[in-house]
Amino acid sequence: MAIISHRTCVRACFAFVTASVAILGLAIGAQAADPIKVGVTITQSPPGSVVQGTQVKDGLEVAAKIINDAGGVDGRKIELVIEDTQGLPEKARAAVEKLITRDKVVAITGEHQSSAALAGIEVAHRYKIPYINTNGWSDVIREKGYPEVFNPGNYNSRVGSAAAATMKELGVKRVLSLAENTDYGIGLAKAIGEALKKVAPEISYKYETLDRASKDFLPAMIGLRSNPPDAIINLMLPPAAYIMMNQAYEQGIAPSAKTWLYDGSGLADYPDFWQNVKEAGKGMLVFGLYHPKMKQPPLGKEVGEAYTAKTKNEPNRLLFQAADSLFIIADAIKRAKSTEPAALIKALDATDYTGTRGEVTFSKDKGFAFNQWLDVPYVTFQMTEIDQKVGDSVLVSQPGQALDPAKLWKPAK
Amino acid sequence: MSAINIDLAINGFVTGLFYALMAVGLSLIFGILKIVNFAHGEFYMIGAYAYTLIALLLGVPVWIALPLAFLVGALMGWITERTLMRPLYAGYTSWGVMRDEYAVIVTFGLSLFLINLVDKVIGPYAYRGPPLVEASRVSIGPVLISGHRLLAAFIAIAVILVTAALIKWSFWGQQIRAVSQNRLGASLAGIDTAKASVIVFMLSGGLAAFAGALLSPVINASPDVGIFPAIKSYIIVVLGGMGSVPGAIIASLFLGVIESFGAVYISFQYRDAFGLILLMLFLLFRPQGLFGEKGREV
Repeated sequence: MAIISHRTCVRACFAFVTASVAILGLAIGAQAADPIKVGVTITQSPPGSVVQGTQVKDGLEVAAKIINDAGGVDGRKIELVIEDTQGLPEKARAAVEKLITRDKVVAITGEHQSSAALAGIEVAHRYKIPYINTNGWSDVIREKGYPEVFNPGNYNSRVGSAAAATMKELGVKRVLSLAENTDYGIGLAKAIGEALKKVAPEISYKYETLDRASKDFLPAMIGLRSNPPDAIINLMLPPAAYIMMNQAYEQGIAPSAKTWLYDGSGLADYPDFWQNVKEAGKGMLVFGLYHPKMKQPPLGKEVGEAYTAKTKNEPNRLLFQAADSLFIIADAIKRAKSTEPAALIKALDATDYTGTRGEVTFSKDKGFAFNQWLDVPYVTFQMTEIDQKVGDSVLVSQPGQALDPAKLWKPAK
Repeated sequence: MSAINIDLAINGFVTGLFYALMAVGLSLIFGILKIVNFAHGEFYMIGAYAYTLIALLLGVPVWIALPLAFLVGALMGWITERTLMRPLYAGYTSWGVMRDEYAVIVTFGLSLFLINLVDKVIGPYAYRGPPLVEASRVSIGPVLISGHRLLAAFIAIAVILVTAALIKWSFWGQQIRAVSQNRLGASLAGIDTAKASVIVFMLSGGLAAFAGALLSPVINASPDVGIFPAIKSYIIVVLGGMGSVPGAIIASLFLGVIESFGAVYISFQYRDAFGLILLMLFLLFRPQGLFGEKGREV
C-alpha cells in the first residue's frame, strides 16, 4: 500500500479545489453567455395563414433585436427557435413537443391560430412549460384553465362584445356572420351571438360556416341575394375572406345601401388587402386592434418604427401582439431571475408590464378571462376609399367614444 | 323555373366549365400514361401567378398575358415530362413492366415542391389577377354575374371545343388517341409514344395553367390555390370515366350544377362533399364512370 505524504495530499486537495472552481467558473460563464431559447410556433406554409405567420415572426424578431441590443436578459441573448405548424393542430402539437424536449426552450410563443394553439397548449401543459398565446382568439384556450398558458392577445368574447355593441349602435335588425370552419371562426361566431343576446336581444342573429380552403362561395351568396341581412360580419381569414368579399360585392349583397359589411378578423391590416378586394372593401367597418391614431406607449412607437425600417410595411396589430409576447417572457425571466418553468410561471402570474399596447396584467377569473389581459385596446374604423391606408381610414369609435351611424359612409345602392 | 333556380343553374354551369378546363388535362394524362398527376393543381397555381404577375408587374395587356400563362403551363408540362416522367417509362413499351407507381410519389413531391417554392419566392400573400373586363356586375334577367366571369365562361367553352376538336381530328390528336388505346400497339404501328406523352403533358399543363389564369381575378392567386380544383378534377375524372375527355367535360358540368343547387337547398357547408358522395356512389354502382370502359384482361 502506497503511503501518501501530507504535502502530496495537500497539493492534491489544492489542485482538486482549483480545478473545481475553474470548471464551475467556466460553467457559470458559459451559462451567462448561453442564449435563452424561446420556442416559436407559427404558420410558414399553407394551408394556415402564412401572412399572419410572417407578421408574427417579424414582430418577434423586432422584439428580440430590441432586447438583445439592450444587452439581453441579465446578460443573456434571446434566441428564437422557430417551427412551422402550417396552421394544423397535429403539426402544432409535434412542434411544441420538439421545442420542449429537443431544443429545451424556456417558453413557447407566437401561435396565431386557435386550432393550433389548442393543440400546442396540451403539450405545454403536460411539460408545465410557459405558453404565451400570441393570437389564438378562441375562448376555449382560456377556459381550459391551464396555469402555464397566458394570453396577452385578443379573445373571442372581446370581439363578440365589440361586434354586438357596434350592431346595436348601427340599429340593424338582422345580422349574419360568415365564419370559417375553424375553432377561431366558429367560436367567434358563437361569442357574437352570446353578446348580442345580452346587449341587443331584439336583433335576429345567425351564422354560416364556410370552408376556409374553398375558392368559391358564389352559391352561398346567391342564396342570400333574395333576402340579404342588414349586416354581414366577416369571420374569415385571407385568402378565403377576400374571395367571399368579392363575391358578396359582385352579387350586390354587401357593402350595399341595405347591408353593412363588418370585419371581425382584422383584414385591413394585411398588406395584400386592397390588391385583392378593390371595390368590395370600400365602406367596410373594421374591428381593429391597432390604428395609427390610437394612443400607444413609447415602446409601441419604437417597435412600429423598427418594423417599418425592417420590412418597409406599415405596422399592424400582430406585430405588436408578437412583440408583447416576447417582452412579457423577458420581463418574467428578469423578475424570476431564473428560466426554470415554475419560477417563470409564478413571475408571469404577477405580470404588470407596460408593453407596446398598454399595461398588461393577467386576470385570474375563471372561464374566458383566465390568464387573460382583459383590457386589450380596440377601435372601430371605416375604409372609405379604395387603396386607403389604415392610418387614413375614418376612426368611428374608440374607448370612450360611441359610434354615430350618421357619420358613416354607405354605398348609394 | 324560379329566378333563383335559373341563377343557380347558370352559375353552376359556369363553375362546371372551369372544372372542365382542369379535368380534361388530367384525363388526357391518365389516358396516355395511366398515371394520376398529383401536381396538376400546381400547374393551375402557376398559371394563376403567371397571368397575374405578367399583367401586374410587367404591365403586359391581359389578352397577351392569358396565352402567355398557357405557354408557361405548357413549358412546365414539358419540363415535368422530360425530367420526372420520362425515366419512369423510358425503354418500356408495355405498361406491365413500367414503374408507374413511382409517378404517384414523384408528382406528389413535385406538388409540395412547387407550393413551397412559390411560397418562398413570391411570398405568402394572395394576388388578385386583373379582370378581362372592368364590369363587376352584369345583369342578365335574374342572373347577376361579374363581367369577367361571364367572359371567362365563353372563353372556356371555346378552349374546350378547340381541345376536343384537336384530339378528335388533328394528326397528333389521332396519335394520342391511338397511344391511349394501346401503347404497345401504337408503338408497333410506328407512332412515337414518347412524343405523344410530351404533347399530352404540355397540353394538360397548358390547360390547367390557362384555367388558373382565367380564374385568377375570381380565386386570387396564392400558393395553395390549386389544391381544391385538383381534388375536384380527380373526382371528375373518375365520374366521367378514367381517360375519357367527353366524360370529363360532362361530369364537370354535372358536378358544377349539383354543387350549386346542393349548396343552397341542402347546405353550403356540404358543398364540397357532394362530389365525394357522387364519387362513392359511382364507385359502388358504376366504377367505370360515365364513359369509361370496364377493365379488360386477356
